Amino acid sequence: MHNTTIAPCRRFSSLGCTTLAMIGALMLPTAAAAEPEEREPAEVYRQICSHCHASEYAVGPATITMAVPEAGREAWAEHIRGVVRNGRAAMPAFREAKISDAELDALAEALARGDFAESAEEE
Amino acid sequence: MSTNERILPKGVSETDFDAALDRFRETLGAEQVLIDSDRLAPYSKIMMAGDRDDYIPSAAVLPTSTEEVQAIVRVCNEYRIPIWTISTGKNLGYGSAAPGETGQVILDLHRMNRILDVDPDVCTALLEPGVTYQQLYDYIKENDLKLWLDPPAPSAIAGPVGNTLDRGVGYTPYGEHFMFQCGMEVVLANGEVVRTGMGGIENSSSWQVFKWGYGPYIDGLFTQSNYGIVTKMGLWLMPEPPAYRPFLIQYQNPEDIEEIVEVLRPLRIAQIIPNAVVIVHTLWDAGTHVTRKEYYDGSDSIPREAIERIKADEGIGEWNVYAALYGTPEQIEVNWKIVEQAFGASGKAKIMYGEEAEKRGGGFSYRSALMKGDMNLQEFGLYNWRGGGGSMWFAPVSQAKGSETKDQTELAQRILGKYGFDYVAEYIVGWRDMHHVIDLLYNREDPEETQRAHDCFAELIDEFAKRGYGLYRTNTEFMEQVAGTFGEPLREVHRTLKRALDPNGILSPGKSGIRL
Ligand SMILES: Cc1cc2nc3c(=O)[nH]c(=O)nc-3n(C[C@H](O)[C@H](O)[C@H](O)COP(=O)(O)OP(=O)(O)OC[C@H]3O[C@@H](n4cnc5c(N)ncnc54)[C@H](O)[C@@H]3O)c2cc1C
Repeated sequence: MHNTTIAPCRRFSSLGCTTLAMIGALMLPTAAAAEPEEREPAEVYRQICSHCHASEYAVGPATITMAVPEAGREAWAEHIRGVVRNGRAAMPAFREAKISDAELDALAEALARGDFAESAEEE
Repeated sequence: MSTNERILPKGVSETDFDAALDRFRETLGAEQVLIDSDRLAPYSKIMMAGDRDDYIPSAAVLPTSTEEVQAIVRVCNEYRIPIWTISTGKNLGYGSAAPGETGQVILDLHRMNRILDVDPDVCTALLEPGVTYQQLYDYIKENDLKLWLDPPAPSAIAGPVGNTLDRGVGYTPYGEHFMFQCGMEVVLANGEVVRTGMGGIENSSSWQVFKWGYGPYIDGLFTQSNYGIVTKMGLWLMPEPPAYRPFLIQYQNPEDIEEIVEVLRPLRIAQIIPNAVVIVHTLWDAGTHVTRKEYYDGSDSIPREAIERIKADEGIGEWNVYAALYGTPEQIEVNWKIVEQAFGASGKAKIMYGEEAEKRGGGFSYRSALMKGDMNLQEFGLYNWRGGGGSMWFAPVSQAKGSETKDQTELAQRILGKYGFDYVAEYIVGWRDMHHVIDLLYNREDPEETQRAHDCFAELIDEFAKRGYGLYRTNTEFMEQVAGTFGEPLREVHRTLKRALDPNGILSPGKSGIRL
C-alpha cells in the first residue's frame, strides 16, 4: 500500500492514480502503511519551500536558492538543516515527519549547489 | 532548563516512562520514537507569547496506522502517559506543533498521510490526518478531477484534518470547515475505534455523504477537544464552477466598516455572495508585502498619519473587501449587478475586478488564489511587518452587524494601542457571524516585548468577554483563560465528558481548558 499518495502519482498516468485510490478504498479497514517514499529535492522544494522563498512571493529570503562556492557548501547545507529543523523567527520548524532526514540532506545539498536558483539570479 | 536534563511526563516515574517507551518501540519500531532533544527541537518552536520551556515534549511517537494509534493509547493508559495529538502540526499562531504543556508526548500523525478515497461524483474525500492540502491538491490535478479545495491561508503546509478539528476557516463557499466535514474514525482513550455518522454500518456507502447517522450526533465532540484521536475524516469538496469572478471593494474611512457589513449581510445570507468574504484592514493588506519600518520606526503603535501614507502610497483602502462570485457566466453577470448596486448606493465604495483590481495595491492575487482554493503562503508576509516571529491570533466572534464591528474595532485598537501594538486585522464573514481575526504581531526575540504581548492578549480576552464577545479558538497559552470566559456550567459539562471518555486523562490534557 502506498503511504505518500503523491509520489506514485507523479510517475504514473492518471489511470494509475485512480487505481491506487480505489485500492485505498477497498483496503480501508486493514490498510497497512509501507515505508514512506522519499521525495526528490525538487519536489520538496516545490511543495514546501517555494511558496515563501521563490522571488515572486518575497516572503522568505530568495537568497536561499543561490549557489554557494564549493568550499562553503557543506557548512551552508548544515546551516540550512538547522534552520529547517528549528525554524527561525517567522520561519516555521519542519520536523522529520514532514521532511525526512534523507530528504533534508538531499534538499540542503541541492540548495547549496544552486539547483533551484532562478535564472535571473544566475545571470 | 538545560537540554540534557531529561523531561518526564508529570507524575510518571523514570522506570515507567522507560517501560512505556520500550513498548512504543516494540509497536512502532525504534526509529518512530523520538527522544533526543535534537529530534524533538522542531516540536517546541512556538510563535505565541509563552515561555518555550513550558512547551517541551518528553518524546514524540510517529504511528502510520490506526492500529498503531490504538496500541499507543493502551500503553499510555497503563502508564498514565499524557499525549498531545497533532496532524500536520502547523497550528501556527495557536501553539504550532508544541505540546499543551512540558512533559507531554507528542502523538504526531503526519506519517498517516494516505488519501483513502476521492469520489468525483458526490465530491467527497476520505483522508488520514497527515494529508496536506498541497498533497490533496496535487492528487486532484494529476487525476484531472474538477474539484476545488478550501484551504486556510497556510494552505500548502497545513492539512484538512487538523484544521477542521480546530474548527478553522477558508475562503471559498466551503469556508466554515466543520460544516463540510462528514464522518470520522476515532480512536478513544480506551483504545477502541468508533466511526461516526453512517460509518458504524459495515460496508456503508453513505459515510461521506450523510453527516448525522443515528442517535446523538457526536462529531463535534472531537473538535477543539481532547476526547479522542481522529484517524480518518471525510469532507466535502466543491465542484469546480464554470466561471469565477474574484473582486475587490475598497472603502477609505475607518467608520465605513459599519456600512460595509450592513450591505454585505443580506448578500451573504441570501448567498448572492456565497464565499467567506474578508474585510481586510490597511495594515494587514499592506503587511503581507510591506514592512513597518518603511513607514514608521517607533516602538509604540503605528500612528494614524503613517496609516494614511500607506493607503496613499500602496493604493490600499482603510477597509478592503475581497469576495467572489461562482457559477455560470450568466449567473455571475446577474449577481455582479446586484453587488454593484448594493455597494454603489452610497457612492463611498470603489468596486473592482479583473485587471483593475490586480493593479491596485494589496493582496488581490493571493486572495483570488485562496478564494478558488489554490495553494500559496503569501500571508506569511505578515511576519515581515514587525519581524521577530511573534504571532498570536486574537479571534473574537461577532454578529454580522455594522454596529458590532465598529464597536469591536475601536475596542481592539484601544487595547492594542495601550501596549504599543498595531491593529493588523480582518473580519472573515461567515454566514451570519464574523470572525474578527487580529494578528498580534510582536518580536519574540525581545523578552520585554513578548511579556507585553502576553499581557495585551490577556486584557483583550477579558475586555472583549466583558462586552459579550467570546473567542472562536485560541492558542495553548490562553486556553484556560478563554475557557473561563464561557462559564463554569459549560466547563463542568466538558469535565464530565472527559471523565467518562478518558478517565485517566491521557489525551491532550489542557486542550481548550479541559482536564479531569
Ligand atoms: C500566516 C497565517 C495565516 C493563517 N490563516 C489561517 C486561516 O486562514 N484559517 C485558519 O483556520 N487558520 C489559519 N492560520 C492558523 C493555522 O496555521 C491553521 O489553522 C492550520 O491549518 C492549523 O494547522 P494544521 O492544519 O496543521 O493542524 P494541526 O496543528 O495538526 O492541528 C490543530 C489542532 O487540532 C487538534 N488535532 C489535530 N489533529 C488531531 C487529531 N487527529 N485528533 C484530535 N485532535 C487533533 C490538536 O489540538 C491540534 O493542536 C494561519 C496561520 C498563519 C501563520
